[in-house]
Amino acid sequence: MRNPMAKKATGLLQKALATAQKKGASAGRLSLHHSQSIGCLFENGRLKKADTEQRVSVSVELVVDGREGRSSCNSLEDLDEVVERALSLAKAGSAVHFDAYPPPAALTPVKTHSQRTAALSRQSMIESSQKIVDAIRKYDPELFIEAGAGRQESEGVLVTSGGVCHRAEHSAWQLDAWVQRTEGTDMLFSDFGRSWKDLNEFYDPDVIIEHILEDLRNARQVAPAPTGPATALLSPDMLATLLAPAQMGINGRYVAKGDSPLRGRLGERILDPCFTIVDDPHLDYCNGAGQISDDGIPTRKMAIVDGGVLKTFLYDLDSAAMAAAEPTGHNNCSPHSIDVAPGRRPSEELLASIGDGIYIKQLMGFGQSNIINGDFSSNVALGYRIRNGEIVGRVKNTMVAGNVYELLKDKVHLSSDKDPVRRMPYAVLEGIQVSAAEQK
Amino acid sequence: MKDRLSQALSKSKADYTEIRFERDDSSAIAYWGEEIENVSSHKHSGGIVRACTKGGWGLATFDSLDDLAHSVAEACECAALVGREKTQLAETPVVDEVRPAKLVRDFRGVSFDEKLDLVTRYNDIVLHTDPAIETSHVWYADSFRTVHFASSRGSYFCEERPRVVLYYVAVARDGALVQRATDGVASAVSYDAAVGAEQRVAETARRAAALLKAPACQGGSTTVVLDQELAGVFAHEAFGHLSEADHLYENPKMRELMHLGREMGGKQLDIIDHGAMPGMIGTQAFDDEGMPTGKTYLVKEGVLVGHLHSLETAAKMGGRPTGNARAISRAYEPIVRMTNTYIENGDLSFDELLAGVDDGIYACGSMGGETMMEMFTFSARYGYRIRGGKVGELVRDVVLTGNVFETLRAIDGFGDDLQIMQLPGGCGKGGQSPLPVTFGSPHLRIRDVVIGGK
Repeated sequence: MRNPMAKKATGLLQKALATAQKKGASAGRLSLHHSQSIGCLFENGRLKKADTEQRVSVSVELVVDGREGRSSCNSLEDLDEVVERALSLAKAGSAVHFDAYPPPAALTPVKTHSQRTAALSRQSMIESSQKIVDAIRKYDPELFIEAGAGRQESEGVLVTSGGVCHRAEHSAWQLDAWVQRTEGTDMLFSDFGRSWKDLNEFYDPDVIIEHILEDLRNARQVAPAPTGPATALLSPDMLATLLAPAQMGINGRYVAKGDSPLRGRLGERILDPCFTIVDDPHLDYCNGAGQISDDGIPTRKMAIVDGGVLKTFLYDLDSAAMAAAEPTGHNNCSPHSIDVAPGRRPSEELLASIGDGIYIKQLMGFGQSNIINGDFSSNVALGYRIRNGEIVGRVKNTMVAGNVYELLKDKVHLSSDKDPVRRMPYAVLEGIQVSAAEQK
Repeated sequence: MKDRLSQALSKSKADYTEIRFERDDSSAIAYWGEEIENVSSHKHSGGIVRACTKGGWGLATFDSLDDLAHSVAEACECAALVGREKTQLAETPVVDEVRPAKLVRDFRGVSFDEKLDLVTRYNDIVLHTDPAIETSHVWYADSFRTVHFASSRGSYFCEERPRVVLYYVAVARDGALVQRATDGVASAVSYDAAVGAEQRVAETARRAAALLKAPACQGGSTTVVLDQELAGVFAHEAFGHLSEADHLYENPKMRELMHLGREMGGKQLDIIDHGAMPGMIGTQAFDDEGMPTGKTYLVKEGVLVGHLHSLETAAKMGGRPTGNARAISRAYEPIVRMTNTYIENGDLSFDELLAGVDDGIYACGSMGGETMMEMFTFSARYGYRIRGGKVGELVRDVVLTGNVFETLRAIDGFGDDLQIMQLPGGCGKGGQSPLPVTFGSPHLRIRDVVIGGK
């Protein structure tokens, strides 16, 4: 990295914490995050933009007399001022429910920074993006194509009044493409992308190309949507979307505050028995990999759902204290890196097993409903009709609705093949409500 | 600052270069249920350099002005790497202005205790108005953003952009059924916009409780009457994004689809974007390329007559720059965005609109919307069944979708009661969210809108 600052920041943050404690803070955590990235973007199939970004953020949270004030800035030169702000705000701040930040504990080794990612050149990224553009343009020269890549390095420092002083380095790359086909007023959008921390075999333009081309091939014709309750095949991305309400439901703060519909249901079967869901931040280089939470608590691999049964909620330090539970090392009570165990049959077989249904790849407006309850009613942004086990065309002007807890409770099948980056399989479920406008 | 930016620009070798440096000071108070959830204050500064050489763009962000020279060099290097054609940017007037904010009541002069009392009072109202209310979310935030801009064309401006936001949510529960009701307000001119909302807060709480007993809206195609807020969101999502020229200028088929002169709807349909409307949260004196903002007709008497432009899209499409290049913060480049977007008034009263509906839905308020150009979707906060031209029972879970082109033509009734909404939240595009915008409309009646549901 150019001008790394973690070493200098560590001393400054520790000094600032000590000053805050002398001025009455009983607990505190201070952190710095510094990132640098480069990228490129192709627009309409032509190299259009290259960028260099750098960002610094400094965060201060201080507890005075059981109340917390927060302040942030993006320069270490403002550190003293934000400490004063946090101290002042704490007088009327949010009540904290824990007594102290925990002392340092043993951390599980996990790799988060890759030299080969750091060495990924802009020229390589341009070549990868160009390859994607050329392949898609060869399929259909009239498509509007965007493609791009980026890589990032970051360093972070965390200092807490519990005695934690932790430095970490991360790297990441992204490679993605977005395509629009326009015929009169008919528009088709397809996109696919990947990211990871290590420049491994996942960095593969051919995979991006194939996902997009598959969408384009499947969408050559328009087919009427089924209506009423239907069988749906979900792509890995779509399954992740439908699991989002459950992620809110296991959020320890929502549980402690009484908002979660899963409160009081540990040990109950909430999903189909085919679901075993793990939060695993210890897979080297995965998105979300990390050793320690923002509270200074070691992360761990945890079973969230086992055979459909809810095993745990996710807690940060404060929400754990509210709930009289053990903190689980989760920032904002959210998972680090969800991994859904595969099923028994490959996705091709699952598709072939559907006599009449819908294959949903993307929804529009999913989060606009009463989502924490699991209710949704969304437009099918990209979906296909399935008849006799085959995709027969794209559906349009179609909405799907339901409750994710009801839909994922029974009669769900997961594929044996998974998206290795998203760590999700395909899924088939029954009973999603489909409504469609008349085709004109 | 002007001299510092100008000096940095003088080192640029690009065809065109601009620097935007911003300072932003903000604070927030939030309740969740009985307890304060968050009290925070933030101070940030930094900016972005954009350079264009032979039509290719280079960007470099920085946090410290000490990095300015390096960032100019980086941006120029990036632009030189990608440029292969000719730089095409529309001409702009050279500006040299300082625009301080004009605040009726400056929130920086309001004590923290007064703000806390206000939020606490509203939170108490949410929690205690109805026994069915289980919890609350009440959130107050303010920010004071100072934007310095300079370009290689010799332009400079400094503009202050303040904002106050109040947002409240009532959550009601009956067994496993949970319903939320939301409302709020935003202002660029006065802290007092957040004051005196007690009645609206109480109404919101009562509505959450009432929604528990309301049936879910039935799915299918129906006639809808939209209130001004939801109709405004419709204008924004269903049409506004299609008028943003950066969706069009490099896409020949989209340019053909959205060509000027295309019939978009009936003769009563006028849609306007106005970036210079006094006192609105979507208003700026200058956009983030230094272009003065103004009023742009997008649709006039049903015909597409304008697009929203940046300097590049205007040059490439032969249009005039409209002052719609906006960036949400110091860390982002400007892209084409809406400002204050509305459908112009019609001539029917609300009762006259309803009279034309035998069986339909009156959809009110907005919980968000989204578009994929051809299709749009948005959620109402709540709705009512319309039966025989009269507003009937309350319904919940009103989510609407439609084809943009068909739905604009399906508007067959324009109310005479235009309102422009200044609400919390904002518009999302290209990872820049939420950008402050307003949207507005009179009541509208639209045929054949698809509603999701069972």
